[in-house]
Formats: sequence, C-alpha cells, structure tokens
Amino acid sequence: MINEHRRKQLIELMTERGWDSILLYGHGWRKEHFRSLVNVNYSGPHAAARLSKSGDIRVTVTTPWDRELVEEHVPDVVFASDFAGALGSCSAVSGLELMQQRFVNAIRAAGTDPASATTDVEELRRVKTAEELECLKRAVALADRGYQHFASTARPGIKEYELVAEVEGFLKTNGAEDNFMLIASGGVEVVGMKPPTDRVLQRGDSVTTELTPQVNGYYAQICRTLTLGPPSEGQLQAFAIFSEAQKAAEDLIAPGINVSEAAKAQNDVFRKYGYGEYTGSKYTRVRGHGLGLFPDETPHILEDVDYVLKEGMVVIAHPNTYLPLSGYMVFGDTLQVTGTGNVRLNQTEKKLFTMVTD
Amino acid sequence: MKRGLIRWDRAELPSSALESRLARVNSLLNARNLPALLVYSDVWRSSHARFLTNFMPYWNRSLILIPAGAAPVLLCGLSPRVYPWIRSVTVFDEIRPAAKLMTAMTQLCTERGWKSIGVLDLAQLPNEVYGPLILSGIEPTNIPASEVICFDDAEFSMRRRAARMAREILAVELPNGAGRSDYALTGALERSLRMAGAEDAVILLSTGNTAPRPASGATLGDHYSVSLALEYCGHWVRGTRAHTTPDNQNLLQERFRDALAVSAGAQVETLSGPYPFESTHSADSPVIALTIETTIGGARLFFGDSCLGTARGLELL
Repeated sequence: MINEHRRKQLIELMTERGWDSILLYGHGWRKEHFRSLVNVNYSGPHAAARLSKSGDIRVTVTTPWDRELVEEHVPDVVFASDFAGALGSCSAVSGLELMQQRFVNAIRAAGTDPASATTDVEELRRVKTAEELECLKRAVALADRGYQHFASTARPGIKEYELVAEVEGFLKTNGAEDNFMLIASGGVEVVGMKPPTDRVLQRGDSVTTELTPQVNGYYAQICRTLTLGPPSEGQLQAFAIFSEAQKAAEDLIAPGINVSEAAKAQNDVFRKYGYGEYTGSKYTRVRGHGLGLFPDETPHILEDVDYVLKEGMVVIAHPNTYLPLSGYMVFGDTLQVTGTGNVRLNQTEKKLFTMVTD
Repeated sequence: MKRGLIRWDRAELPSSALESRLARVNSLLNARNLPALLVYSDVWRSSHARFLTNFMPYWNRSLILIPAGAAPVLLCGLSPRVYPWIRSVTVFDEIRPAAKLMTAMTQLCTERGWKSIGVLDLAQLPNEVYGPLILSGIEPTNIPASEVICFDDAEFSMRRRAARMAREILAVELPNGAGRSDYALTGALERSLRMAGAEDAVILLSTGNTAPRPASGATLGDHYSVSLALEYCGHWVRGTRAHTTPDNQNLLQERFRDALAVSAGAQVETLSGPYPFESTHSADSPVIALTIETTIGGARLFFGDSCLGTARGLELL
C-alpha cells in the first residue's frame, strides 16, 4: 500500500533539498513516518523505508512475519535482526529524532551524516489526500459508533477498565487497528483523564472519555461526557460553557485561520464566564490538535502556537479542561478544513449524555 | 496502546522486589563511582523502566534518574494532574514535569552537582535525547542493561501469570473464530484480555495462507492460527495457537516439544529486552517466545509459547 502522492511529494522534496535518498523510520509506538509512504501495519520493533530520487523503495523490517506482509506491497524488503547493519547510507531521515543513536551512528558509518526530514515530512502529511480523507471518515464513523457503545455500556457498578474492555472489543470487532483512549469518572475531585483504574462507576458520576480509533492507519477522535443519572446544576452549567467554546472554534476554523485564534476563541468563552484560569497548563493540555497517522499530530491548538490552517487538514477542537463546577469535562469533534470553512465529521449528538439509572 | 488496567498489586509484586532491584543499581553506581543512572522510557519501550520502578507510561516519553543512595526521580512529559495516579502505581515520590525532557534532566544534574552519570544502554537512547545529552557537558557512561536487569523470582512469577492468562484466553476464544471474520475474533480476544487485566495486546492472525498478521476482515475457515502478545502489569509474553483438527494439534504440539528440547527449529524472539518482543537468532535470553510453523494439508499452522531459559534448557513459563 504505497502512498503514491506522498512518493511524488518526497521526490520533489529531495530535489528541493539536494538529497539523494530519504529514510522514513518507525518504531512500535511512532509508526507514522514509515506509514506515510508505506502504509503497512508492521508489528516488529522497527521498520524503515528508504526512498531514492529515482522513486525506488527498499524496506527493512525486524520480523520475518513483517517481511511477508510488506512484500505484498513492496518488492524490495529485507528482514534484519541486525537493523542497524541493514540501514545503509541516506541523505535524510524522517523520524530521525526517534531513532536509537546506534542506528544514526550506523548510517554515519555507511558514509552520510543524515539531515532530519521530520519537520518537512510532517508538513507534507498535514494536508490529506482524498484516499487519506476516506480513511479518516471511516475512523470517524467508527468513533461515533464506539461512543454509542460506550454510552450504552456505562452504568453504575461497572469498573472503569471493564468499560474500556467492552469498548475496545467493540472497536476491534468493527475493524479498528488500534485505539487511543483515556477515561475518568467521578465528581469535582477529578482533574484529568488517564488509563482506566478499577474504580467502580457510581450514580452521579461524570464519565469522560476521549476515543481515538485507527482505521487503515488513520486516527479520528471524539470527546464526550456523560452523567450517570440526572446531571447536577454544576454539570449542566459546565457543559454549556464547553459547548459554547467548542462551537466558537468550529465556527472559526477555516483556511487562513491561525490555530492560536482557534485556541483563543475557546479560551475566551471560559474567560467570559470567569473561568480563565482553567485554560492554562495547570488544568488542561491543548485546545485541540491535528489528526492523521498519529493520534496527537501537530499543530497543537494553543494560543502560543503560530500555524495557519490549510484546506485538507483534519483537526479536533476540544476545550477539555477542569472546572470546579463539574470536575474534568471533555467535548470535541473531528473537523475537516474545507475551502471555505470546515465540516464536522462526527455525527454524534452534541450534548451532555445522560444515562438513566433508575 | 496501553489502555487497559495499569496497577500495582503489592501482594503480586512486593515492594521488596523493587527495593532489591534498586539496591543492585545502587551497588553498581557505587562500584563505578557514578552519582546516578539514567533510564529512558516511552509507550512502547517501557520494560526496563517498569522492571526498576513499575512505571509504564500510557503516553509520551520519560526519563528516570536513579541517584546512588537516594530515591528515583521521574522526569515526565505527562501533566502534573496525573502525578497522584503515577505515585499510586510506582515507587516514585518525586515527579517533575518535563515537557522538555533534556532541559529538565540537565537542571536536575546541575542542582545535584552531577558532572557525569551512568546511562542504561547509552547508544540505544533516542537521537533526540542522546544529542542534547552529549552537548550538555554531562559525561555519560554506558551501563549495559545486562548488568542491571537481572530477572528474579518476582519477575518470573509475573511472567508466568501473564503466560497462563494468554493460554487460558486463547483456549476459550480460539474455537469461536471459525466462520467469522478475523476482526470478530480479534475483538473477542481484546475484550477478554482487558477484562482479565491486560493493559496491552498485539493480536496477529493467520488464515492458513500467510504468516500471522493484523486482522484485515478475512473470514476464518477450518484451520487458522492466532499469535497473541500480551502485557500484564508490564510483563510481556507471547502465545500462539492453531485452530485445526485434533490430529494436527497433536502434530503441532509434538513439533513444538521437539523445538523446545533442542532450542532450535523455531522462530525465536527475546521478551527480555527493552521492547515487548524482538527477533533474535539465539535462545539464550532469560525469557523468549518460541514459535514453530508447519504446513499440513496446504495450511500454514503456527504454535508457540513463552519460555524460560534455565541451566537445564528451555522450560515453558
């Protein structure tokens, strides 16, 4: 599964930069550099695709099973238990920063001191092709179905990790390769999401989740909050603020808009209601981010990030943070930047979900 | 990704086990006249950090500094909002926010007056950590993992539990795959594993025509195999089983026993390194996965398990 558009882009980049070859490196956690050209879900610890200026691709993998899988798409595949020894020389590496130093040393020993192509390739990846958008839309549809499953499974008495197990099983059954998911449950004492614990869900809880299923390499995301039982006045007040903040970003996001403006639009809503202090790093991380082959792509939507959005990018705007009214709350949707604005890809209702417990 | 239950059950993994491991580090540092050991960790490469501190990052990267004669310090890219949870499942009291990992590390070294440190497997640091470390003026000394990560009874006990979990869940779920899509079997396995407390899993399937690979929507017939790598409380194992006729099962098990006896004739992965699993030519790591492949009646079938290297040879975990 070669991304032909990316191959063409990379050859142009090599010409522009004066590079003879580029290596796209991935390890078990960060596969996005490799998969941006060779979109195969390898399972070994490392993989690298070397693209020459002539357009030839040579892939090096670290398990024999990966070799067999990749060979269906790329004729020149090497299985090497000595990964460093098999890399050879190259002019630049996308994912250089992630590489073990001994791999970088091996490339140098082969005759070249590779430049980092990471920033250049990340920029190329931000604007999605039609095929990439199709994958993202399938991932969004699965995120929507996954959230419905989450909401219909959450109930008093279930443990956080059991709820996650049910959702993971559902997503995998329906074609997800992987999923990034965080969860939290409880009241005003909850300050953030994390992996599931063995806490038992209780009536009155806010249950927050960030679901990020991956389909054919591409991650899409949804963030929603549900209450177990009727929402409290504080939960309703908080959700109204989150809803207004997310809408402010969704109304604004368009080609030519700086992500700092999208962050400020969300934060200003919190400020308007007297909760400005909860938009800082003590209580929240980002007001959204890019989506694609990595679930947390740059640019991050923050007031101090300077990046102008382009048509074809896919981002999530989520004003997730702690508020004393409700504890930590999340709300966000995946947005595709179009020629004139954006289109919300999620179909899940924009509301504070409530699970009737009586 | 690690999205299952991450916990520290002291009855299962006693604090004394981690204290012994850290005491070994302390002795090593004293013998080398080094003030601290640096250990790198990320989502996929957490085995060594987990062995020493029970820290398994569900996201992001981190650095651990283990000072000679003092408690370890975590430099963490995660938000301070999750530090109470991290403290509840690890040995750490001191956790410092470190969006810029190397800035935080050099600051800590400066505060403590460290001009040199030991680094676990120095050349295996990511380039983005190694480069700034060299430029920082702090002199790094390579400490091979083999001198630090010496498996003990607690480690083997946890691995045995994980291996048992893999076998039991495969035994229950594998027969239910025939006639269904590989997605459905993957989903059923995923659900069962996470219900049982696994925090991560890599599930590969073979329809009989290929080596095990991620599910693709293929329909499973009468003969298929599943290779399941699972992480239980940070301890990785692999189990591989085939769904086929009883005669074929007997043949597979016989060939696996032969491979186990001679430590050869099989695909070998070490489960003892920094990553969950890595292909290797040698079966002399403390914990390995051994997998055989046999073609019977035109179907490629796979069988394997996690093994422990002992003086008597390989033994099933």
